[in-house]
Amino acid sequence: MLDAFSQLAGGFAVALTPLNLLLALCGSFAGTAIGALPGLGPLNAIALLLPLVFALKLPPESALILLAAVYYGSGYGGRIAAILLNMPGEPAAVLTTLDGHPMAKAGRGSAALAISGIGSFVGATLSVVLMTFLSVPLSRAAVGFSPADYVALIAFALSLLGAVAAGNAAKTWAAASLGLLLSMIGIDGGTGIERFTFGSLELLGGIDFTVLAIGLFAISEILLLLESPVTAAASHLGRGARLRLSEIRRCGPTMLRSTGIGFVIGVLPGAGASIAAALSYSTEKRMQGRDGTFGRGDIRGVAAPETADNAAQIGNMVPMLALGIPGSGTTAVLLGALLMYNITPGPLLFEQRPEVAWGLIASMYIGNVMLLVLNLPLVGLFARLLMVPAWALYPLVIGISFAGVYVVSNSAADLLLAVGFGVVGWLFRKLDVPLVPIILGFVLGRLLEDNLRRALSLSDGDPMVLLASPVSIGLWVMTVLAVLWPLLPGLRRGPAPSA
Amino acid sequence: MTDLPAAEPHPPRALAHSTAPDRSLGVALLLVATGALWHALSLQVPFAADPLGPKAFPGVVAMVLGLAALALLLRPGLGWEAGGPPWKGLACIAAMVAYAFLLIPLGFILATALLCLVIARAFAGNWAQSLLAAAVTAPALFLLMDTLLDLPLPRGPLGF
Repeated sequence: MLDAFSQLAGGFAVALTPLNLLLALCGSFAGTAIGALPGLGPLNAIALLLPLVFALKLPPESALILLAAVYYGSGYGGRIAAILLNMPGEPAAVLTTLDGHPMAKAGRGSAALAISGIGSFVGATLSVVLMTFLSVPLSRAAVGFSPADYVALIAFALSLLGAVAAGNAAKTWAAASLGLLLSMIGIDGGTGIERFTFGSLELLGGIDFTVLAIGLFAISEILLLLESPVTAAASHLGRGARLRLSEIRRCGPTMLRSTGIGFVIGVLPGAGASIAAALSYSTEKRMQGRDGTFGRGDIRGVAAPETADNAAQIGNMVPMLALGIPGSGTTAVLLGALLMYNITPGPLLFEQRPEVAWGLIASMYIGNVMLLVLNLPLVGLFARLLMVPAWALYPLVIGISFAGVYVVSNSAADLLLAVGFGVVGWLFRKLDVPLVPIILGFVLGRLLEDNLRRALSLSDGDPMVLLASPVSIGLWVMTVLAVLWPLLPGLRRGPAPSA
Repeated sequence: MTDLPAAEPHPPRALAHSTAPDRSLGVALLLVATGALWHALSLQVPFAADPLGPKAFPGVVAMVLGLAALALLLRPGLGWEAGGPPWKGLACIAAMVAYAFLLIPLGFILATALLCLVIARAFAGNWAQSLLAAAVTAPALFLLMDTLLDLPLPRGPLGF
């Protein structure tokens, strides 16, 4: 306990340097803006910034502070379009539209925006407090993990993807396998031979992470938006009577419960913010919605999903930092960023690179206060971003994407590769193939193979080492259950109607 | 959890009533899996340095991919998000591919302006708006990245 406080103090010493404060502010602002802009979610935001961060050679803790601020900042911005236009920018914001937009139409748009900002702040800040005290114990428990235990842990994290996926489990597994295969392109670290390079010199070093992230997310998003152009309507809905103190108090218990739900769901690998938002909304509706106000502009129906969304975003970062296992696409990109700095998150991160781990956690306290201060008075400014016309916004996004790919790799061939990933991502989205497992597989692939190799080297090739410890056995049992889970209803009901 | 509204980031989709897209995807994935498996098995290691070797991991992953592809072929869904006519997307893809070849010879500003022009037109900008977007975006990005942040971008024959 005391240990956590002294470590956190050290983290604040890192986070309060002028550069890091400035980066947290820029990240918060950019995150809110990008979250508010139609069609651009946190994943795209981070993918677009990744090359800049590397090309500028920021120190790792500063890079992480900036990228993380964009990540949790986007949780604040996503609500604006949901409330004012009934247009969720990301899956988690769907729940916010249910009561947020009716409130705006009833003339309480300003109150809905304010409570969602406050809910975001409460959810995020309480979750950072939980993170402060839970990360180190969790990472201590994992210090004793053998390479074989890690193999089981990564397999479990990947298997959960299929279990919690909304769509077709076969497509989820195919996507994760493709990500794993992509991670093997290049020279194999263990044996020094080329794999999947097709004789190309460009591929010897493997696929650059930023190229994959920008192509798969940013470029494919633009191609998809071409087909369903987002048209922004009037934003006069953001006016009306201000939020009253009694209303905040009325949302208090809701925000506390939603923080709990969001954080727990977030810490579980595989389950993301959209599940947390949906679960907290339905919990509140069941507990308090007997009078039928939910869905018609109940303020608690805005507070619940927004609080849970931000709590889950922070919760997602706990397994990423403490175990090195990302639970969502965005934390997978953050993990990929750390790996590019040759920093492997996980149990040893808190001991070997405390300035990275604690600097990040401390900066999240500061960043959330900044976001609250930015968001309450400036919400009108961010709402005006909804009016940016598509013909001005999307050429800029494409320009940033390609400039970013170029400054990282200095190669025109990587531009082609990014376009290729963009086309594949576009087709996959149309075919309902999830993209997040690809990026998770790509990030986890090398860790999985390295640990497998280490485990087998220690045992002289005896595969039974993989089942040698109780931790491994437990994780493998859960992995098998997670793999079988989506098959069960299908076996009971016969052929599924459609995915 | 049955009364949860479905979380969909995009507007409601019009589904084509055909399993053909999913079947094609299954065939394509099966081809990738077969190719990957064949490649993995063809890898030769001069000496046995470690017990795992380079083949096992890609081999197993390729088999998982193959199983997923077979499952998809056996029980295809009706997944295809119907959009408008595809020419806009194809034009943008063609412009992006051309950009990769033109960036070095034309320089960043000119190549990016051309690309932005196509994208802006595809997003329903009229000629005046699209020319404005191209004329502002490309030099602004160059100023930001190359001049301000000192990240070198390619210069064309005219020095910019």
